[in-house]
Amino acid sequence: MELHDYLPILVLLVVALLFGTVSRGLSALLHPRDPTPEKLDPYECGIVPERDNPERFPVQFYLVAMIFIAFDIEVIFLYPWAVLVRRLGVFGLVEMAVFVAIVFVAYGYIRREGVFDWAPRKKLDRTLLLQRYRREAEAARVASGASETEAA
Amino acid sequence: MSVLAQAIPAPQTDYTTIIPELIVLGTGLLIVLMLAIRRFSNIGWYALIAALGFAAAGIVAYVDLWPEVTDGAATYAFSGMVAADGFSTFVVILSCVAGVLAVLLANSYLKREGLDKAEYFALLLFSAAGVQFMAMANNLVMVFLALEILSVCLYVLSAWNRDKFASQEAGMKYLLLGAYTSAIMLFGISFLYGGTGTLNIAALAQFFARNVLENQGLVFLGMALVVVGLAFKIAAVPFHMWAPDVYQGAPAPVVGYMAAAAKIAAFAALFRILFLGLSAMEVDWKPLLWGLAILSMIVGSLLALVQSDVKRMMAYSSISHAGFIAIGVAAASAEGMSGALFYLVTYTFMIAGAFAVIDCIGRKDEQYTKYEDYRGLFAREPLLAAILTFFLFALAGIPGTSGFVAKFVVFEGAAEGGQWALIGIGTVAAVIALFFYLRLIVLMYMQDSTERPDLAETRARVAAGPAVVLAVTVAATVLLGILPQGLLDMAGQAVFAL
Amino acid sequence: MEWFEDSALTIATFVPIVGAIIMLVIPKDKEDQLKATALILTLISLAVGIGILFQYDYSRAGLQFEVDASWISAINARYHVGIDGISLPLYMMTLGITVLCVIYSWNHFPEPHNPKMFLILLLILETGMLGTFVALDLILFFVFFEIVLLPMYFLIGIWGGPNRKYASIKFFLFTLFGSAFMLVSFIALYFLAEPHTFDIVRLADEGLDIARSTAVWVFAGLFLGFAIKVPMFPFHTWLPDAHTEAPTVGSVVLAAVLLKLGTYGFVRIALPILPEAAQTWAPWIGLLAVIGIIYGSLCCLAQTDFKRLIAFSSVGHMGFVMLGIATLTPTGINAAIFGMVAHGIVTGMLFFVAGSMHERYHTRDIPRLGGMISSIPRLAGILVLISFASLGLPALAGFPGEFTSMLAAYEPAAGLDAAVFRTFLIVAAIGTVLTAGYMLYMLQRVAQGPIPVEWEGKRLHDVNAVEYVSWVPLIALTVVLGVFPGIVFNVTNETVAPFFSGIFG
Repeated sequence: MELHDYLPILVLLVVALLFGTVSRGLSALLHPRDPTPEKLDPYECGIVPERDNPERFPVQFYLVAMIFIAFDIEVIFLYPWAVLVRRLGVFGLVEMAVFVAIVFVAYGYIRREGVFDWAPRKKLDRTLLLQRYRREAEAARVASGASETEAA
Repeated sequence: MSVLAQAIPAPQTDYTTIIPELIVLGTGLLIVLMLAIRRFSNIGWYALIAALGFAAAGIVAYVDLWPEVTDGAATYAFSGMVAADGFSTFVVILSCVAGVLAVLLANSYLKREGLDKAEYFALLLFSAAGVQFMAMANNLVMVFLALEILSVCLYVLSAWNRDKFASQEAGMKYLLLGAYTSAIMLFGISFLYGGTGTLNIAALAQFFARNVLENQGLVFLGMALVVVGLAFKIAAVPFHMWAPDVYQGAPAPVVGYMAAAAKIAAFAALFRILFLGLSAMEVDWKPLLWGLAILSMIVGSLLALVQSDVKRMMAYSSISHAGFIAIGVAAASAEGMSGALFYLVTYTFMIAGAFAVIDCIGRKDEQYTKYEDYRGLFAREPLLAAILTFFLFALAGIPGTSGFVAKFVVFEGAAEGGQWALIGIGTVAAVIALFFYLRLIVLMYMQDSTERPDLAETRARVAAGPAVVLAVTVAATVLLGILPQGLLDMAGQAVFAL
Repeated sequence: MEWFEDSALTIATFVPIVGAIIMLVIPKDKEDQLKATALILTLISLAVGIGILFQYDYSRAGLQFEVDASWISAINARYHVGIDGISLPLYMMTLGITVLCVIYSWNHFPEPHNPKMFLILLLILETGMLGTFVALDLILFFVFFEIVLLPMYFLIGIWGGPNRKYASIKFFLFTLFGSAFMLVSFIALYFLAEPHTFDIVRLADEGLDIARSTAVWVFAGLFLGFAIKVPMFPFHTWLPDAHTEAPTVGSVVLAAVLLKLGTYGFVRIALPILPEAAQTWAPWIGLLAVIGIIYGSLCCLAQTDFKRLIAFSSVGHMGFVMLGIATLTPTGINAAIFGMVAHGIVTGMLFFVAGSMHERYHTRDIPRLGGMISSIPRLAGILVLISFASLGLPALAGFPGEFTSMLAAYEPAAGLDAAVFRTFLIVAAIGTVLTAGYMLYMLQRVAQGPIPVEWEGKRLHDVNAVEYVSWVPLIALTVVLGVFPGIVFNVTNETVAPFFSGIFG
């Protein structure tokens, strides 16, 4: 391998650059200038946009996308392992069990962190929720007790 | 199917060589698992677990591995992916020490700033594992993976104070520039592979022993790009641009750890790749390191002169220290290398101690980090001022501190190789460096803060963790300055084993 | 007394720093305890020093009380200390001066007071100075040489005059700049020696088998380090600032001991290890020395600040010392050592007087002073006596050193151009006249004449008890050394004569 073996890559790079600049430049020179409000809107698969841009997506989309990539790649490790599982024997089984366990720890962690709580509400701690529930129940009981005595 | 099965031999796994790393990683996972089950409100428990994990890993490395690796040659494990030798074990122990210091520093900081999430400690543990694998990596891909493990953790840690704009900026800058240089380094690795047909560092050396390349262009390019990637991590000029912003914005306890950890890791990888893999190309990489060393020392020292923020000044000082350590590598000798190792140890202690003080003085929100805030510090906080002065003098390399011995051994290594120009420039840089440390000392001792009544209102609180860090780092800096023999021997053994 | 031989120098050198550590734990407001601790520790150190004085074998050349132990074996640095005729007088002077400084500062602490830190720094300073004079290993020497800088930097920077920041930084950077290159030369010496060693004695005994041009460059590094410390013209500019701004005790120690570290370095390290390079450098050192003498004297004539005047006079006096060294003869080096001791005592004393005058007048501006003989006669008397000693009046301590130094310049070592040195001699002789001139001019303005209107009717108290206690030893020594210079010359010559005549033929 010598440096000149990389020449095709360089050529490809130059061609790509030329293609981009030339087509952009040509269209800038040749296109008709007749702007309408629709034409100035961002292109959205041909549909007339209904809302103003930029639109904010819930952060969950990004989180799930990232976590999908992470777990997706981890799953890839299972394929070569599955091919060789007989040859690797008990050793392979244990190794993969450890691997899956580690991934599972990560899963447990992100679940606990509320990544999968798919709602734009504020995440509440379970103990807090429980406390609030008890408090409300207590208040209701006291209120009903008060009305009972009143009735008596 | 059967062809594939035969083509891939079952990997040889020798877990004993990576026990310390397994402990560190396991402790990190344990913390994550605990968080998955139940979150304790007091992060002190997590800090304790993390500190114990680091301590256990360090002790195992010292008691179990160190005597073995210094006796014989390197052992390779995991199909040559990792190498266990004196050098890697030395770095493993050092990273554990740095980890313990970092945990102690962080605990009180996180509580004070209301950032007390236990993930901090998990990230510390993972990043330390990155440092350790980087020192052990005997394969360029392994180097890259370890570097990424380390870096990703550091990016997150830099942005830990996420409500603070500067901290966000630090994390973002570090991430973008770091990712970019990682790509450059990966590019370099691919060139090295293209030129030699191997990714194994030991095999690289064998390749050069057997073959003479007619045209070294490809390999040289690969080597240069790898050096660029690593030079970024050690913040050597001209790849230092990120350092001042990140050091200034990131939380002080993070910087105290990061400055040392990133340097340890990147220098470890440089040693291994250049000395062990590409020793045949010494004539080619020596000038590169020369340039990096000289530029870092001079530019770092000069720019530190004009700073007005202590953390930023420390960033430039760390750049110039990177230059001094690089002298040891550029010496291309066992002496220079063990000198650089010794330097890294002393730097780990000094920088942790210095940032412990900066953290205490910064108080809530790290609002007091400007030079102006240090005005008359001696009158207000005599002990903290005295300790910071001590560390500044140690960083400047005044005799009686470990900083002097460190600079001395590095210079001696360079002198062995007859590189007097490097020593001369280093000397000048050291004097310039002293000047900016003195500027801060003058402010602390020889100015009064009467026109800043806000400074006198609150006293800096030194929590238990930073207090322990200060005691340990001061003791280590004095001890290594007066009786450095034990550690010098260790550093010598670490390199000798190669 | 075997144990004393083995440990005396170590004890005397490190007792002060132990005292500094003890004082760290004494609370800041217990001032009497702090002062007492400092005084006792320095006195212990001095007592051990006097013990050394008695045990020292004056009939023997070479090093005594030697200790040579392993220290940092990885870089071949050893804990090697010892004392001989060259270092004994300087060592004793350091021990004595520090005790006197502690006594003098008893209730003279300048603003911002804080005796605890002041005395701790003084004690660290003492260990550094003592260590430099006995270190026989280049690294050990360097460590002590540099440790001296830190306390002095803080003494000037915290307790100094209005321009203290500038002066302290200038002092620190100048000296560190020089010593950084000195360190490079030390490393070079290590690698040039076969087998590699930092040991000063072995380097000097075995000699280096190196090209003259290399030696000249290595000497240049040493020269930079030592000449800045001395300080020689043109590296002297830190000295007037440091002296003027330093608190009294700081000036005294600076003048009496710190400047000697440079000249001592020449005698102990530069000349014996690199004799050939020394011969090449000697005429230039001599030239700078006499320029320093003339330049220092002329500057003195122009000064209106009392302390600054004394500071410039140091440049001149150290010029005589360096001239003696530059002759490379035993006579010259004997003269140099005597000159160092005499300058230490006399100029140290002058700074004490300057400090006490400043305390009374709150100014150092010479035109505003005057009539001291009428207003505070005893202080004036001491000033006159010490000024006479400083200008080199026979029978006082300043004379023998300067005279012998010029004597040596008449007949420099073989290989040096006698004509050049005789020219230096003539210039130096003119310098002595100028010295007498500025000293008398100063006395005329400060001590004589009527009391200026500004001070008329003001009560200025004369010398007090504390001042007497701290000054009498110095005044006595000024006279004793002037009348019996032999007590120093005999000690130094026993070592210097065989040693340097062996080196320079």
